Amino acid sequence: MGLWPPADDDGLLSELGAALRDSGPPPEEFLAAGYAALTWRTVDAELAIAELTFDSACDPEPAGLTRSTGSTRALAFHAGPVVVAIEVTATGIVGQLSPARGGRVVARTPHGPYEEVAVDPVGFFSLGPPPSGPVQLHALTSDYAVATSWVPLG
Amino acid sequence: MAERPDSATRPEVGAAPDVPAADEILAGLVSAAANGDEPAWAELVRRYAPLVLSVIRAHRLNRTDAADVNQTVWLRLVEHLGRVREPAALATWLATTTRRECYRLVRIGRRTQPFDPLDDAVEATIGALLPQDPSAPDENLLRAERRQALRDGFGQLPARCRELLSLLVSDPPASYREIAERLGMPIGSIGPSQARCLRKLRNSPALAAFVGASPDAEGSGGDRDGAVAAGR
Repeated sequence: MGLWPPADDDGLLSELGAALRDSGPPPEEFLAAGYAALTWRTVDAELAIAELTFDSACDPEPAGLTRSTGSTRALAFHAGPVVVAIEVTATGIVGQLSPARGGRVVARTPHGPYEEVAVDPVGFFSLGPPPSGPVQLHALTSDYAVATSWVPLG
Repeated sequence: MAERPDSATRPEVGAAPDVPAADEILAGLVSAAANGDEPAWAELVRRYAPLVLSVIRAHRLNRTDAADVNQTVWLRLVEHLGRVREPAALATWLATTTRRECYRLVRIGRRTQPFDPLDDAVEATIGALLPQDPSAPDENLLRAERRQALRDGFGQLPARCRELLSLLVSDPPASYREIAERLGMPIGSIGPSQARCLRKLRNSPALAAFVGASPDAEGSGGDRDGAVAAGR
């Protein structure tokens, strides 16, 4: 074996790549969570994905558009003209669908639905405190059906 | 790295027609996974899990947050599969998404202690992957020590260097154009940044024990034992 670490950058980079790749194989639970994620594909196939477009936890707040305070986290999801806006506090989630339609909202973790509530005629709904880990809301109305991007809320 | 292929300048399809290029294989996996093919999806997860984890490690999340980010990223990729137009950009998409989700959890502020898959708490999980067989050849042991030193040194680098080097060594490699977009730096500064980061790596305490060790002394046992002590 020659000099180590390699004197040339290419050699060092190549060894670094090998080291990071074999840094142990990701813990099995991490791989398992990855494999399991595919099962959600078919579940969501008929739903449009409402992309996460705003999260007060990490995005600068557009002036005057949100009412969130220090203890409230506000998020918005968009799918075309449909907006799902929610506020998360220690006591639970309140949300509003736009365009306002009655219907129902199903809250899910990767293990399945954990809560289902009615949406009132002006689009408001409320849910209990979210569990830890990524959560997805399915908003089902007579006019549209969307699924929010997975995001940890707890 | 002057000869590194850069997809910004090379032709889209350069391989011989009857030999599938890496990009075509990847495109096939993405397309099959988008149609629900489990083995294809599993292969994608296996390929990219180390990249996702390397970004997570760089953010020093606790284990719960690290697991949440990991799970969120794969769920997002499932949603995103049907819209992957350029499979070669998948590594960049994953790195960006992972970084954003790490940032989100850091901001939510649930951090308690750093997550390091190599620490004692998870040794049971990955311990089996380290060559601990006493009958294993010394060369394997030496290689494992060196790789550990590289990972330790990598962990001591500034976050920016860890991100850049992670992208440079990702497999399949990210193009300079993708790296430039991802890190918001001019393509022309990638080379110099890479050199600077590798210099920092070379000078990191974790590698210091190896630097300057005479190749002739290797195998004598003495230097290696010193390296073992300093590298861990």
